[in-house]
Amino acid sequence: MTLLFLPAAILIFSVFAIPIIRYTWLSFHASSVLTRLEDIPNNGANWFRIFGDDRFWQDAYQTIRFTSISVTLEIFIAILIALLLDQKINNRGLVRALTLLPWALPTTIMALGWRWIFNTPYGPIEKIYSILGLGSLNILSNPDTAWLATIIADVWKTTPFIALILLAGLQTIPNELYEAFILEGGGKLNAFQQITLPMLQPYLIISLLFRTAQAFGVFDLIQVMTGGGPASSTESLGFYAYLNALRFLDFGYSATIILLTFIILIIFTLLVWLLTSRVNKLLKSEIL
Amino acid sequence: MKKNNLFVLILLFWSLAPFFWQVYTSFSTTESIISPFSYVQNRWTLNNYIQVLTANPPFWRYLFNSTIVGLSSTGLTLLIATPAAYAISKVRVNVERIIRLFLLGVSLFPYVLLFLSLLEIARVLGIGNNLFALSIPYSALSMPLAVLLLCSAFKDLPKDLEEAARIEGLDLWQRLRWVLMPLISPAIASTGIIIFLFSWNEYPIALTWLSKAELITLPVAIARIAGSSLYSVPYGAYASATVLGSIPLIFIVLFFQRQIISGITQGAVKG
Repeated sequence: MTLLFLPAAILIFSVFAIPIIRYTWLSFHASSVLTRLEDIPNNGANWFRIFGDDRFWQDAYQTIRFTSISVTLEIFIAILIALLLDQKINNRGLVRALTLLPWALPTTIMALGWRWIFNTPYGPIEKIYSILGLGSLNILSNPDTAWLATIIADVWKTTPFIALILLAGLQTIPNELYEAFILEGGGKLNAFQQITLPMLQPYLIISLLFRTAQAFGVFDLIQVMTGGGPASSTESLGFYAYLNALRFLDFGYSATIILLTFIILIIFTLLVWLLTSRVNKLLKSEIL
Repeated sequence: MKKNNLFVLILLFWSLAPFFWQVYTSFSTTESIISPFSYVQNRWTLNNYIQVLTANPPFWRYLFNSTIVGLSSTGLTLLIATPAAYAISKVRVNVERIIRLFLLGVSLFPYVLLFLSLLEIARVLGIGNNLFALSIPYSALSMPLAVLLLCSAFKDLPKDLEEAARIEGLDLWQRLRWVLMPLISPAIASTGIIIFLFSWNEYPIALTWLSKAELITLPVAIARIAGSSLYSVPYGAYASATVLGSIPLIFIVLFFQRQIISGITQGAVKG
């Protein structure tokens, strides 16, 4: 019996546990071009460096901003899409498949597509804007707007994924529940608040957790769509770790970035968890 | 009913418009790309496609590479995950719950952060620039989800069934191969499709493991095209590359939407 499980366990261990151990080791060593990629202990210099590294904290801020806004938007839009797909509509199967398409495409493909849509001066959005006589938007070359463009692209890609999970949740709610509620004189909006949302809750929580963790590791989208620019304004922590390892060839520091990113992610996820359970309690007390 | 149709149209426009813009751009001449909303004499062209398909290496090579990686990862994952899932479905309930929780936690991990260590592993073992070797990290990364999905499929089977097969004198391998696996084949199919999509689309690891131009997978090729000045024409060639790269996935989604959706939702529900 254990023999059946062993290969899977070894694979999972070597891909998830070995890296964590190795990163911890590397983060206390200098390992870069200067050391010819040999690990030389450096008394925690990487850790001292990272706490004074403005670029790291700027990227941490950007990653948290990107994650919280895009995941919030995705959940809200996904609820609307799931409610719509739960209705009787024509060609539901085809509509569902076409809605899913953005999620199924490789991120690099859709990132390149969105880069073209937001292109200045040839992209359609810029064109429409200038035809309307509103001047130039310069979305991707302005540090104040480029990050919003990456959020739009991320929402476009991942909302269908959440919508389908929520749709599965909606389909577990028996119709009789609504009928009884309406019979007792409840309105449609109330039914949504008192039946739909509570029943959807486990699905909402799993999507929230999954998407938060994945959005925190955003990489492909940023690299292809903006390259982290302009002026590092869209640079995520994952991308910064990549730059340190493969562009600056500083493995020790890159490992430190990855570990601290991981720690921040855990804290952030716990906060999200606390917040949702707090909101939950509030909602419940209101109903009672 | 009417109102719903309107909303469906909005939804489809939102989901498909960016894609149609790529298709439109890919058939456009440079002049019409520069001024998309005004009259241009030579509006349409196939040059963008010709340019991408005759480049060195030609574009279909990347599709081929991604297919190899996708198929080998899917095969390897299912081969390892199916027995593991069977074993877990047999342990005591509270042990199983702990294993499930652990697998769920692992599958939430943003795997991008693993790239550095995986790169070192590839270097130590000397398995960079090998398409089949990529299936090792890919199947390891898909393993938690695959085991979760298959394990709940095994659990849903009636208990007496395997007992009856045992009494008939079938050994473990025979029971798995001829009795249990055919019955969970829908779950195997949807798990396989999800793994295939993941491996086909994966970027950070493919980016760091593959450096030879004729070996890179589709997502890496697209990123390279985006980052290079190889195609001097603005975006016409890019667009045709993204369209060519999307076509296989459009077919996969249309043909296997049932399996994909059940894979996604089962993953969320059973997790």
